[in-house]
Parts: sequence; structure tokens; C-alpha cells
Amino acid sequence: MKTLLNKIQTLSYIILPAFFSFIGGCSRIDHKQSALDPKGLVSQNQYDIFMLSVWITIFLFCAVGGCLMYVLWKYRAKTPEEAMEVPPQSHGNSKVEISLIIASTLILIILAVPTLQGVVLMNRVPDPNDSETLEKLGLDRSAIDDAITVNVTGKRFFWIFEYPQFGIVTSNELVFPASKAVRINLRTEDVIHSFWLPKLAGKMDLMPGQENFLWFIANEEKIRTRKDSDGNMTLVSTEIAMPSVFNGKMRERIFAKQKFTDEFEAVGGLFYGQCAEYCGNSHAYMSFRALAQTDDDFDSWVKRFQNSQNPNLQPGTYNPEEEYQKDSIVQFADPALGDSGTREFRAVQAIAKGQAPNLDKKVWKKAHSDDYEMGKKLFSSLQCVQCHAINRTGLGSKGPNLTLFGIRTSLAAGWMRNDEENLSKWLRNSNEVKFGNLMWNGEGVDDDHPLRNLENDDEKVNQLVTYLLGLK
Amino acid sequence: MATESIKYLTPETETKLKSKAFPRPHQNTSGIVNWLTTIDHKKIGVMYGLAALFFLILGGVEALLIRSQLWNHNMEVLSNREYNQMFTMHGTTMVFLVIMPLSAAFFNFIMPLQIGARDVAFPRMNTLSLWCFIAGGITLNLSWFFTGGSPAIGWFGYAPLTDTRFAEVIGDMGPDFWIFSLQILGLASLLASFNFITTIINMRAPGMTMMRLPVFTWMTLIVSFLIILAFPAITIALVELMFDRTYGTNFYDFLEGGKPHLWQHLFWIFGHPEVYILILPAMGIVSEIIPVFSRKPLFGYGLIVFSGAIIGFMGFAVWSHHMFTTGMGIVATSAFSILTMLIAIPTGIKIFNWIGTMWGGRIRFETPMLFALGFITMFMVGGFTGIMHSSVPIDAQHQDSYFVVAHFHYVLIGGALFGLFAGFYFWLPKLTGKMLNEKLGKFVFTLMFIGFNVTFFPMHYLGMIGQPRRTHSYNEGHGFETWNQIATIGAFILGVGILIGVYQFVTAFFNKKLKDAGKNPWDARTLEWTLSSPVKEYNFARTPIIKSRDQAWENNYGPKENHSDKVPLDDHGVHMPDRSWYPLVSGLGFLGLVLGLLFHQSVDANTGEILRDYTYAIAGGSIAIFGIIMWSLEGPAGYHLFPKETEE
Repeated sequence: MKTLLNKIQTLSYIILPAFFSFIGGCSRIDHKQSALDPKGLVSQNQYDIFMLSVWITIFLFCAVGGCLMYVLWKYRAKTPEEAMEVPPQSHGNSKVEISLIIASTLILIILAVPTLQGVVLMNRVPDPNDSETLEKLGLDRSAIDDAITVNVTGKRFFWIFEYPQFGIVTSNELVFPASKAVRINLRTEDVIHSFWLPKLAGKMDLMPGQENFLWFIANEEKIRTRKDSDGNMTLVSTEIAMPSVFNGKMRERIFAKQKFTDEFEAVGGLFYGQCAEYCGNSHAYMSFRALAQTDDDFDSWVKRFQNSQNPNLQPGTYNPEEEYQKDSIVQFADPALGDSGTREFRAVQAIAKGQAPNLDKKVWKKAHSDDYEMGKKLFSSLQCVQCHAINRTGLGSKGPNLTLFGIRTSLAAGWMRNDEENLSKWLRNSNEVKFGNLMWNGEGVDDDHPLRNLENDDEKVNQLVTYLLGLK
Repeated sequence: MATESIKYLTPETETKLKSKAFPRPHQNTSGIVNWLTTIDHKKIGVMYGLAALFFLILGGVEALLIRSQLWNHNMEVLSNREYNQMFTMHGTTMVFLVIMPLSAAFFNFIMPLQIGARDVAFPRMNTLSLWCFIAGGITLNLSWFFTGGSPAIGWFGYAPLTDTRFAEVIGDMGPDFWIFSLQILGLASLLASFNFITTIINMRAPGMTMMRLPVFTWMTLIVSFLIILAFPAITIALVELMFDRTYGTNFYDFLEGGKPHLWQHLFWIFGHPEVYILILPAMGIVSEIIPVFSRKPLFGYGLIVFSGAIIGFMGFAVWSHHMFTTGMGIVATSAFSILTMLIAIPTGIKIFNWIGTMWGGRIRFETPMLFALGFITMFMVGGFTGIMHSSVPIDAQHQDSYFVVAHFHYVLIGGALFGLFAGFYFWLPKLTGKMLNEKLGKFVFTLMFIGFNVTFFPMHYLGMIGQPRRTHSYNEGHGFETWNQIATIGAFILGVGILIGVYQFVTAFFNKKLKDAGKNPWDARTLEWTLSSPVKEYNFARTPIIKSRDQAWENNYGPKENHSDKVPLDDHGVHMPDRSWYPLVSGLGFLGLVLGLLFHQSVDANTGEILRDYTYAIAGGSIAIFGIIMWSLEGPAGYHLFPKETEE
């Protein structure tokens, strides 16, 4: 017995420090999709109740487990003779039992009260007129009054985000103002999905034939808080924590600052979300992003989207009867792009009537590179346009909306970083990246479909990549 | 079985109907025919156990494939569809083909011995339930070989993913196999449950009052009631789903006005009691083992029995806690949240009482006790995480994450499987007459305990940092790799432990080197330990007259007035019913019915019309009914034995 204890002791000298250094190495819990790193009011509430339950159960585990260990040690049969003894045959003690029942009930009440409060908080955006509640939650009235609404539609295997207040539609990347409440209406067009945004909101299922609801509000201060190398908390500026999306700063900054494979997100305003209800073959690939913005940046983003998706603001065909201001864009035939090819031209200066786009005169400039224009053409001729809407809301379309694709950070519902290399991989053979995806396997797509024959067509792939990433 | 002292008389039974096609096997029949036609609850129990252990290995291999796929990010051990099939089959297999039949094995073998009965109330129905279980297992696993392969819908089969509209392989038959195998497994469970209830209510030995029943028998009774109340819900749900898939009805098709929520309610009003169907037998086993190895009676017997009943009852009132994130509204989620918390109280009571039982005892740490203690600690962890999930805001983060995977494996492996393994180590000496190797048993326990915790404890953390369930792959950069690798290593350790354990159980029947067990090797307390090991085919030579709760213990240590008596043997002797072919015939008939329904559709190559041909289904159904009618007519028949009083 002695030697065994010694052995255990020596072993523990080796194992325990190793164990703790290992745990220490993994001590960061603010992974990209971690529910242990709440950055919003609702998720913070969920986290607090969780930690309460953790402490309750650790207490119970120690109390009951300790009791068990004590009993096992105290009443163990030390010798074979003792093992054959007959102890007093007691049958129970009702006082002990009743007091234990009462004690466990009391402990449950400790958990039940915040639970019920949490249920209400999760399901209802606070009433803006109820200043008492707002104060308790630390919310400004304007955060509720100016709340934005996003209609989320889940599809196998991507997300559509529609902003009914602004009349715009995007997909897979939810842009929202950090200071405002965000109401999320959840719908699905096929099977059940679940919208899980761990750092902001917990999750809610998208049930067919039913509209579900969830809301969240980010905490700007937490988004801006960062641990420096000494472990001190510092507040970084909003430009660093929430780079603007509308002009591509967010994308640039993320790409510059870190690798896609980094375990922790360096940009505080970027959140990772995931479908959490099994929805078919590629359920694992159905993720999304949420990007927090300052109010101004969000407004600019909305403006850009509104302009891009406004049919009246799309560049028209050149009209000789019209005068054009500087920076106007028109479409005009360009034989260099094939028989019926048209190209967008940008006015270098104010242009009088009748000056057709002609590069010789230097008043018009090509708006985009040749590859871009070819890619745009291919986007139609390869039938991409049948499922993807660009520069229109295209709510009924089968695939994700690709408006302003060039400012997005991720590709294929959050599965890859949105850069040239990945996009070309995706276009060549999306089934290899994301087996079972709709683009490759959807209705009407067979081996004759041009999309399935891009694998070795470097030129076309490059042109498409240039076009799509040029959408900014 | 036949010893010289047993005097055989010519059977004085009249068989009402003699069939030449399936003549009843003779009483001394041996070999394969003996096993195929047996109506002995002990042999049926053994077959249940062996089949379930086979499926345990199968489901375990599926689990290890799942764990291999998750070893690292973007692994390609399995394709995504294969992975989805694996977790569907793993879940369905472990729930319906492993834990439930293992419990049924113990119900069958132990329960009649504990109440002083010679068999269950309806021996041939018991056999039919065994064959239906086997048929269900075969049906489910046949799915691998047909269009679409195995189902990839999850063991919960949420509508509308099961709808043909959303099938990812054209003409996918997987869900159909799943539906029909669950139906026939439900039939098996229902048959067994009615049988056990009737047996426990009617066939207790004189003096075996309800409050003298061993706790394991009590749990058998409660679980049987849970099964007969819970299975109709899933039966209806499955019939509706089958109609949706086969005949184009719209129970769950939301595009035609159906309601996917309906499936979830029906499934979980079965599915949650099902959780208690899985765990209560293990609790019963542990409640038998702890008193034996502490040499004290169960602390608060009445309260433990009552808690079991309360858990069973409340199990029907908490189903919607599986649906907290489906948008049920504030009132419903709050109500189910509170009810779920309440169910923690009777569960806690059981744990308190087990500790109370050990208090002041003389505790021996033999293998069954180790597994029972493993059960208590692991089940406690699973219970605590369960309390967390009862809180809706916590559940909003945990639902469908790896945290939940950790939670229910703590309950179903750390709980149910550890309890059942404890039962194996405890009762196998009674089955085989040989003691199991104690050292090997402790080794198995160590492997399983370590392997289990290494596998599933990290999953709590994985869930919290955002790994969702049922995903065949995860991306780089989420920090999931390290803990998944630890979990996978643990899974293989656990797998090896279980494999050695199963090897030990199976070889216990042949291994000549094992020591003899004798009647009561553990100095145990309940009635089955007054019998010889292995138990004679007639169980009790004379029906015992029960005087106290722990009869075997009282006979050894109690005052004289607590010793059991015996009902004298009359001229009639012990009547043993004859074996019968008909349960097997009926079982095959049901298998034929199910396969006939599965393959009744074909598509006309020219017109593209769906053709329906029910010939095989009708033939199978007729055979099943024929078997049942024939066994009703053939009568009990049988023979009489006159064992000496000492020969039991």
C-alpha cells in the first residue's frame, strides 16, 4: 500500500505540472466561434447563467462526490475478514432524505429564477418606453428605437440576408451596426436549419412554414477590448476593431493581419456563425459571418448596396442625345470583346452630347479591365446568372446574391477566404470543396452544364475571378 | 439437464392440434433447434444479450469511424454522406439494438428469478419478441445494400429532411428501412413489455408483495409501462412518415400545409421517455449491486422505487426540452424548463440513497461494484450537464453542439452501459456457473473508465468553443483539432475496453479454467441467489414462500421467522411447456411483411408510372398471423419434472 501511494505521489509530480502547462497553453477560450467569449447583451446573459450553473454543479459535484469518496474510504473493507462482517442493517432515514430533497429544490430555484428572466430577454426586444429595464440592461433608447431588422432565409447550404428597411439583399455575410439592436426573422425554404451566432446570440431554428425570431445587440466596448501581450486589457480604436466593410477595409485588414487558419480572430468586429441543425450532406459547410460596423460605416454600406441594387442606377447604354457628367458610366459596344460585346466606359470629364465612347479622344476611359468585361460576359453565357443575382435584389433566385462580392471576406458560406486562389478553386470544381453543394448538384445541372466544364479552362476561370472580385 | 434423480413421466398433455409441418421439438432437443424453438426465458435472455453485444461491436465500429473522421480538420476517411449515415446508424443501433435489448436480456433472465417465477407469463410471445428484435436489426442493417445506402437522417429523423422532396440521392431507400426497422423493433418492445408487466403483476411467488420486489424488478415494471405508453407515439409518427413518403400524404410536408413541428413533438414524446427506458434498468442493476457489495440493505428502498416511478411519469412531461430552440414561445419553453429541473430531484434522490446505502457498510471493490461506482460518478456528471440544459438560455448555446454530445454520452455510456456491464459482471456467474476473471474485469473497467472520460470530457469544451454536432468536417482555425484528437484516442481506448469485456462475457460460457461460482458467490441478497448456478431449466424446484425483502440474505443472516418456506411439490410436478416453432415462423413472417412493404414499389420502365405490388407483404403478414393462430391452437403441451427440493 505504501509503495503504491509513493508511486502515485511521484507520478503526480510529473503528471500534474505537465497537465497544468497543457491546460495553460489552451487557456484562451475566445476562439472564433466560442460561446465562452460573449460580445453582446443576450449572449452575455446566456454566458452568465451558464457560469452560474457551472458553479452550482461544481459545488454539487464536490459535495456529493466528496461524500461518496469519504464513504468509500471510511467504510472500505480493509481485510477479507472485515469483508465478511455483517454491519447494522439500517433501512433509511426519512429526516435525512427529506432535508436532501428540500436542499436540492432550493438549489434548483437559484438556477430557475435567472433562467426565466433569460427566457424573456431572449424572446423579446425590450420595450423602448420601459426606461427602467433599459437602464438595468445598460441600453440607450436609440439602440432599440433605431433597431434594424434582417430577414434571414436558410437554404441548403447557405444564408440569405434581406434588409427590408433598406430594400437590399446580401448573403452569407451579415453586416450590422454595433450600437443598434438587430432583430432577426428566421425562415427557411427547404429543411430545418439553425442560426447559431455564439458570441452574440445563441441559436434559434429556422422552421419550415413558420417564422422564428431572435435578437441581439453587440457590445462595442467588448468588441474594442483586446488583451495585449502582457495580458492587460486595452481599448483599441474603432478603425482597428471594426474596419469599414463598404470600401473593402475589413477585407484588406483581415487578409493582411492574419492567416485564415489562425485560431483566434484579430479583428474584434468579425463574428463566426454556423448552421446548427443537421440539414443534409453538406450541413458542416453551412456557416456564415457577421460583421459589426460603426453607425456611419453601416450607413455607407447600406448606401452602396442600395445604389448597386437600384435598377434605375445601373449604367445605361450610351445615348448620343444626353450630356454626361464626370464619372458617369455608360455601356457601349466594344468589338474587342467579341461580336456583341459591350463594355462600361467612365467619363473622365463632363461630356457634351454626341461624344460616343472612343478611347482615342481620352474623354472616356475603360471602367474595367478586359478580363473583368469578359468575366461579366461569361457570367451570363455560362448560365451563372440563372441562379445568382448581381446588382439586383433577386429575392427568388436559387443561389446566393453576389452583389459587391469583392468586398466580402469569405466564400462558399464562410468555408474559405474570399481570395483569387480559393475562388478559382471553387469555380473549377465546387463539388470537391463542398461536396453536395447546390451549384454543382442543383436541379438542371448535369455534366453538360458549362459550370462543370471549367476545371481546366484557366482563361475562363481567371476572367470570372477578375469579374467577381472586381465587384466592389 | 436431465439428472438421474429427475423422474420423467409420460406427458399427460393433450395437444389440441398437431401439425406435421412444424412438429414440436422433443424435450431433450439440443443444438441449434433447441435455441431456435426455445421458450425458456433464460435462453431468450442469453440470445438477446449476445445479439445486442454483436450490435454493440457494430455500433462501436461506426463510432470509431466517426471519431477517425474527426481526428483532424478536413479529413477524408468518410465522405460527408457516409459520415451522416454513420452517425444515423450509430445512434439508431446503440439506442434500439444495444441498450434496449441488453436491458431486455436482463429483464428476461433475472426478473422471473427475482420474483420466484418459473418463466414469464407468455413464453412464446417472449420468443416472438426476440425474433422481432432480430428482424428489426437485420432490416436496419440491410439498408447498407440498397439504393442510397443507409439512412442519413439522424436517429431523430427530423421532418422535412426525411421527405422524398429533400432526398439527396434519387430513390433513397434509407429512411424507409429506418422506418420499418423501428416499427418492428417497437413491436418487439411492446410484446416484451406486456409480457413483463403481466409476469410481475401475476406471477410473483407467495409472499412476494410489491414492496418486497427487488428494485431491478421494480425498474423492469416501470420501464415496461414507459415502453407501452411511449411507443405508440413513435409508431403513429412513423406510420404518418411512411404515408408521406410512399403515398404522398402531407403530415409533415410544409409546402402542402403539413407541420414539421408535429414530427418533433411526436418523436420526443416518445424520445424522452425513451431516455428513461434506457437509464432506469441500469439504475435498477446498480440498486442491486451496491447493497450486495456494501453488505447493507438499500437505503430508502421506498423512496428509490418511488423516485423511479416519478422519473418515469415525469419523463412524459418534459419532451419539449429537446425543442427549446424551435421557437415554441416564452410560456412553453419556461414551463418545460421548470419541469425539466424538477426531474433532477428524484434523480438526485437515487444518488443520495446509493451513498446512504454504502454509509456504514463493508465495501468490497470487486468488478461489479467498480462499474456501479463508475455509473454513479459518470451519471452524476451527465445529470449535472442535464440540469444546465434545462435552462433555456444555456440551451440556446448548447443545443446541437458537442456539449450535448458529451452530456448524453455521459448518461448513456457512463450511465446505461456502465450499469449494464456491472450487471454482466454481477449476474454472469449465475448464468454460466463460473466466476469471471476478476483481474481481467478490473482491467476492462480501467480501460473503459479512462477511455470514456478521455473521449467525452473534452467534448464539453469543444461544444463551448463552437463545434456543432453532426458535422462531418470542421474548418481549420477554430482550435478544434487538439481536443478532437484526444477524444479520438480515448474512443479507441474505450473501444478496446469494451471489446475485451465482450470477449470475456462470451467466452465465460466455454472457458473451462474459470472457478465455479456456487449458489451465491457475492453473498448477495435477492431471491435469484438461492438458486444453483447455472439455473436449472425449471428455476425453482418448489415455489418459494417469501417472508422478507432481501430473501437470500435473510435466509443466511436473518432471524428464523424471516427465512423463506417452500410450497410442497404436488403429484403434478413441475410442468414444463414444449418448445415451439411458431414464434420463429411468425418472426420470419413479420420480416417478410416488412421487406415486402419496403420493396412493393417499382417504376414501369415504359410509362414511368409507379407500380405497387403487395403480394410479398401480404404473404409475409399471412405467415405472421398463421404462426400466431397456430401457437394459440397448439396449446401448452409439455412435460412434467419432479426435481428434489435440493435441486434448484
